[in-house]
Amino acid sequence: MFPLRVRSYYSLMQGTSSPESLCKRAKSLGYTGLALTDTDNLYGLWKFLKSCKTYNLKPIVGAEISEPGSKRVITCLVQNKEGYSNLCQLISARKTKENFSLAADVAPLAGSLVILSSDMDLIDIYVQAHLLVAADLGSRPDRKGRALRLYAQDRGLYAVATADSDLGAKKESSLRWLLRAIAEGRSDVPTEEDKGSAVNYLCSQDDYQQRFAIWPGVVSDTEELAALCTFSGPDNGIVMPPWKGEGGLDAQESLREKAYQGARGRYGDDLGEEVVERLDYELRIIEQMGFSSYFLVVRDIVHRKKEDGTREKRRICGRGSGAASLVAYCLMITNVCPVKYNLYFERFLNPERKDPPDIDIDFSWDERDAVLRDVLGDFKGYAAMVCTHIFFQPRMAIRETAKVFGLPGGEISRVTSKIPYMHGSRGGAESLNDTLTSLPALRGQDLSDPWPAVLALAEQLVGLPRYISIHPGGVVITPEPINTYVPVERAPKGVPIIQWEKDSAEEAGLVKIDLLGNRSLGVIRDAAAAVQRQGVLLDENNWYPEEDAATKCSVAAGNTMGCFYIESPAMRLLEQKAGSGDFEQLVIQSSIIRPAANEFVREYVRRLHGGAWEPLCDEIGDILDETFGLMVYQEDVSKVAVALACFSHGEADALRKVLSKKDKIVRLREYKEKFFAGCTKNRIVPKEIVRMWEMMMSFDGYSFCKPHSASYARVSFQAAYLKCHHPAEFMAAVISNGGGYYSTFAYVSEAKRMGLKVMAPDVTMSEIVWSGQNKEVRVGLMAIHGLSEKFLQRVLCERQKKNFQSEYDFFGRTVPSDNEARALIHCGALDSIATHANRTVLLWQWASFQHVKQNRSCGTLFEVPLPEPPKLPAPEPMTLLRREYSALGFLCQYHPLELLNVQSPQGGRAATTLVKINALHARVGQRVTIAAWLLTGKLISTKTGEVMEFLTFEDETSIVETTFFPNVYRACAHVLQCGRGYKLLGLIEEDFGTLTFTVESVEQIAFS
Amino acid sequence: MHSMVSGFGLRERSILHFNVADFAVAVERVADCSLRDKSLIVAPLHANRGLVYDMSEEAYRDGVRKGMPIKQAMRVSKKAVLLSPRPQLYQKAMGAFLKELQRYSPLIESGQIDGHFFVDVTGSHRLYGPPADVGWRIRRDVRKQLGINPIWTLGSNRLVSKVASRLVKPVGEYIVNHGEEASFLAPLPIELLPGLNLKELEKMREFHLTTIGALAQLTPNQLMVPFGGRSGVLHALSHGIDDTLIHKPSTQTDIVVGEHTFANDTSDRNEVEAALATLVGRAGLALRGQKKVTRRVGIWLSYCDGVQVIRQATHKTGTSAESLLQSLALLALKRCWQRRTRIRYCRLVCDRLQRQSPQLSLFAGNDTRGIKSRHVEGAMDSIRKRFGCDSIGLGRKYRSPAAENRSQISG
Repeated sequence: MFPLRVRSYYSLMQGTSSPESLCKRAKSLGYTGLALTDTDNLYGLWKFLKSCKTYNLKPIVGAEISEPGSKRVITCLVQNKEGYSNLCQLISARKTKENFSLAADVAPLAGSLVILSSDMDLIDIYVQAHLLVAADLGSRPDRKGRALRLYAQDRGLYAVATADSDLGAKKESSLRWLLRAIAEGRSDVPTEEDKGSAVNYLCSQDDYQQRFAIWPGVVSDTEELAALCTFSGPDNGIVMPPWKGEGGLDAQESLREKAYQGARGRYGDDLGEEVVERLDYELRIIEQMGFSSYFLVVRDIVHRKKEDGTREKRRICGRGSGAASLVAYCLMITNVCPVKYNLYFERFLNPERKDPPDIDIDFSWDERDAVLRDVLGDFKGYAAMVCTHIFFQPRMAIRETAKVFGLPGGEISRVTSKIPYMHGSRGGAESLNDTLTSLPALRGQDLSDPWPAVLALAEQLVGLPRYISIHPGGVVITPEPINTYVPVERAPKGVPIIQWEKDSAEEAGLVKIDLLGNRSLGVIRDAAAAVQRQGVLLDENNWYPEEDAATKCSVAAGNTMGCFYIESPAMRLLEQKAGSGDFEQLVIQSSIIRPAANEFVREYVRRLHGGAWEPLCDEIGDILDETFGLMVYQEDVSKVAVALACFSHGEADALRKVLSKKDKIVRLREYKEKFFAGCTKNRIVPKEIVRMWEMMMSFDGYSFCKPHSASYARVSFQAAYLKCHHPAEFMAAVISNGGGYYSTFAYVSEAKRMGLKVMAPDVTMSEIVWSGQNKEVRVGLMAIHGLSEKFLQRVLCERQKKNFQSEYDFFGRTVPSDNEARALIHCGALDSIATHANRTVLLWQWASFQHVKQNRSCGTLFEVPLPEPPKLPAPEPMTLLRREYSALGFLCQYHPLELLNVQSPQGGRAATTLVKINALHARVGQRVTIAAWLLTGKLISTKTGEVMEFLTFEDETSIVETTFFPNVYRACAHVLQCGRGYKLLGLIEEDFGTLTFTVESVEQIAFS
Repeated sequence: MHSMVSGFGLRERSILHFNVADFAVAVERVADCSLRDKSLIVAPLHANRGLVYDMSEEAYRDGVRKGMPIKQAMRVSKKAVLLSPRPQLYQKAMGAFLKELQRYSPLIESGQIDGHFFVDVTGSHRLYGPPADVGWRIRRDVRKQLGINPIWTLGSNRLVSKVASRLVKPVGEYIVNHGEEASFLAPLPIELLPGLNLKELEKMREFHLTTIGALAQLTPNQLMVPFGGRSGVLHALSHGIDDTLIHKPSTQTDIVVGEHTFANDTSDRNEVEAALATLVGRAGLALRGQKKVTRRVGIWLSYCDGVQVIRQATHKTGTSAESLLQSLALLALKRCWQRRTRIRYCRLVCDRLQRQSPQLSLFAGNDTRGIKSRHVEGAMDSIRKRFGCDSIGLGRKYRSPAAENRSQISG
């Protein structure tokens, strides 16, 4: 028996087992191979092939093809390469074609496929089309199967038994019930019959033999069918995007010409020996590896061809290892000169590297969709985006399971919103229930019945795929139609996507170009434009912000909130400690901050300030001198491996790559052995080897390569320059573009601390976005919660015709909805046009306007004036502010903490003993109490696995970084919430000129 | 106070309002005097997802509220004693209170089992003395007889006496003289005015109408602007005008109602259907007892997040047959149970009642099934009358444990 027709959990919301566990089970049941046939997809193809290799099974690639609107399903098994390409096209047709029908659409694409079907009509059609079709008798003999078998015998077709299974093992049936309940939106408690309902699982060979003993041949024929399928997986090598030649030159010549042309643009006509040498070297390697067309395609994307045939460069920032290439720099794909900053080209390309390189490019976030649209349009049928497989994470799993149990949304949110982001790979073996009940943030949460049942089921759900989504920016372009390489479907927003996520695409050799959105490019564009509008000359092509003294000073002081890539609390602290605003140091600083490297950060600061240090070991030479002997960048791992353990460049690069993967443990073992062996051969002391290896292991997870950091540091410096010299324009652009590390609230506070005046929104003055000029920031209408895009356009359009004369005029011309009008009134945006009315009267006038509009039976020629409003008192000041806060999420004139004194009588007394944050430096070594507003926080685990937290607080005077050690965190985690005020008692300490506040106790400040 | 009213002029009305704060707690304290100085929470004990039914003043001050999950209530009020609700007992206490009141007036209106009574004592001056004296006397009697100490207030209408009682909660009395209604209300916060919905309250806060007086200052035309059709009502309310009469609870109802609260909210279809079957059994018994048929069966469902949905199923000629009622109820249930959230409460309402036709079918011989099932129902009814209405029922898959508890309460 060869198990045909087995579905994995990639048959979404239906199957329950991963391809790996199916292979494992197949092996343990003594099968020689397995046919994985998920419904309408090949999502799990590469995992399946890999597991088959691991368990030494013969893989059969296949898929079930369903028909929309009917229950008919056929199973297609791939015989050879041609069959694979056909299957990809068939799945793509099923996913993208309207009115797909099994009767009409299969035959043209069924060459070299084995088709299994249990529908006699379909079998008839396929037999007439001369396809290889077999009757699918299912997993147990029944009446329908009997008829089908006789029918097949009449026509001389194969009739075979299939596993037709959704489950890997019987015990997964309750999980399957849950999946179905989630998919169908049901909510009821599972009964025993639900759990045990007739869903097939993969049984043993004996089971099938016994079941089908009455029909000899149906089991053994599966082997014959399987023997027809010799395909063991696609093998296309590296699939490069094609370049359509220009002017008859081939890709290599063209690239050479364009690179030199670009170099002259960058360095002037006299290129210098160093540049020429390096260009030649790079071009040689690129040619040798056949990547010329890839560079050219990327260049064409960056330099968009306009309708008139000329090209225009888009605002970009090349990122990732590609920034190490001089060719890329000369093609204007990247922004940092690799010669000047000594960037390691081999990190990007070397002849030994087997996997395709990737060039990642950031575009301004609001231009990115247009870029993608152009690329997908230019290469229609040959390009698609990479997808991501979204798996159930604990939070989503709990939410969905709880819904099935009928728990109300509010109760579910109360639990799930407090769960910190836990990735599926939680280390310990403890159950979800134990994890949750031990979470400090969930203390006091009622987790009684039915929660234990919910959590137990949700636990099983974690790690199963839920749906597929679009990768943020990965595009694949192929020389042949893309649906011959991989099935293509359409994402909900209409974009074509391939069925594989980035790792699978890489394994298939498909070269991905990452076109990502970056908010900070928008910030710099907007701020620069605002500056230029005021007549200030800012030539971006000759702009070297990293050489500006004032900018360097403000970076050294850590005044970089709002500046791309260097605004996080940890980064700002490090900048202060380092006290150096040098570009090179900033590149190091932004790379050294990574989860597992705290001790190296301290060491870096010490060495930077002149502390003595020695190389890691003598053999290492000077390769780490630039970074004070510390391993900072990803490629340092490779460098060290090459220098100490005689790794080749290719091996060293592979080691680096493995480190950033999630499932590295097994693969790392080989490298470890090799590294230790290599070092021993070089006569390095064993103790040193261990230390070195551990240091390399700190690059696990997040880490950066130097070209990437350098490329970003340039953008950081541009931002820092603008912040330093044009603060109002810059802060307005930061808030308008959104998506920074902090909330709008925090940026508004920062603007106020910078001495800028924050002007309330005003329908006669505000733009949609925030605007800044001359130390004044005007709140944009976008900041007001709940205004629709259409309404904002109406306001602007009407205002251009003629400015608003009165609130009545405004209401009449812009026709706001109720909540829009209310929000505008509450935030004070109408104050300037209603000169004689307070906000209570404005609200009344709005009600009056609606009343008149409602009761007007027909349109009138002349406007009916509103009746005189009653004399209503203005809202209390506190009510006014509270409404402003709820409409905007911040206050224009005050910090909420300032209102504390006004607010509560006890607050007044306590306020005298409270220390303002900007006065903390005078209290080093003391225990003080501060009133502060929680901005953001970062949870980390200590070495012993306990949870502690670094939180950022502010008041109207300054920002302070605080530390909550595990015991304190446990005690107060459940009261901490961003966007609230707290009284904190703790100890002030100083470290390299920066203050840290170690919190001992927390008290919530009640407002109202 | 005594105006001379002659002829057909309107007589000044005197409405007494009695209100026992935290009625369930008050009754429990009478039943067990050791509870007198303890903080109390009344809530279903066996249900870990149950909600608070009532609580004592002390627990209220700790932050316990009606409808709060028990666990949360126990957390905010750690010292409180937890009691299971005994609606039957509270009903009995209501009855006893009512008896005391009936000595003074036939016009008494009461709420569910919440300790509220409106008593119209207009014109009984010569019989029992001034209305205020009646108030004092009733309180003294009730305190003596039942051990409960009610608030009482006196006003010229239901609205005024109700506002007055909200003012003196939890103990005391208040008399609003005739003609002083508006000036009594004017300085009071708007939240004390009964009959406003949340939206209206929200709007009043927006317009800075914080007192009832501020509302009263607006003309009905002005009130039209924000409140539309409700302007007349609001105007009258703000001036203390309320002409509604005190209704004697009618004995002859034109609907049959049954309700069930799930101690633990549930999404188990079997449990809900079983509870519904119990309600149908009772409704059927009541209908057949009155010799009536219903032409419409309605289901009210309350989900555990507070959303309530009402749906009906109708029958052209009307029925009192249990199986038919059951299928109508299930149809209505299907129509209102469309959300994925758990059910907390379910109410069955049979209305559009009419008398059962005494006319027998001419060709009865063909309808042996109908006759047989009518015989069965007759037999079931006699059993129910003798052993309680839940003692027998149509076959159900599953008997809800909550329903059993409920019948314990009634037994």
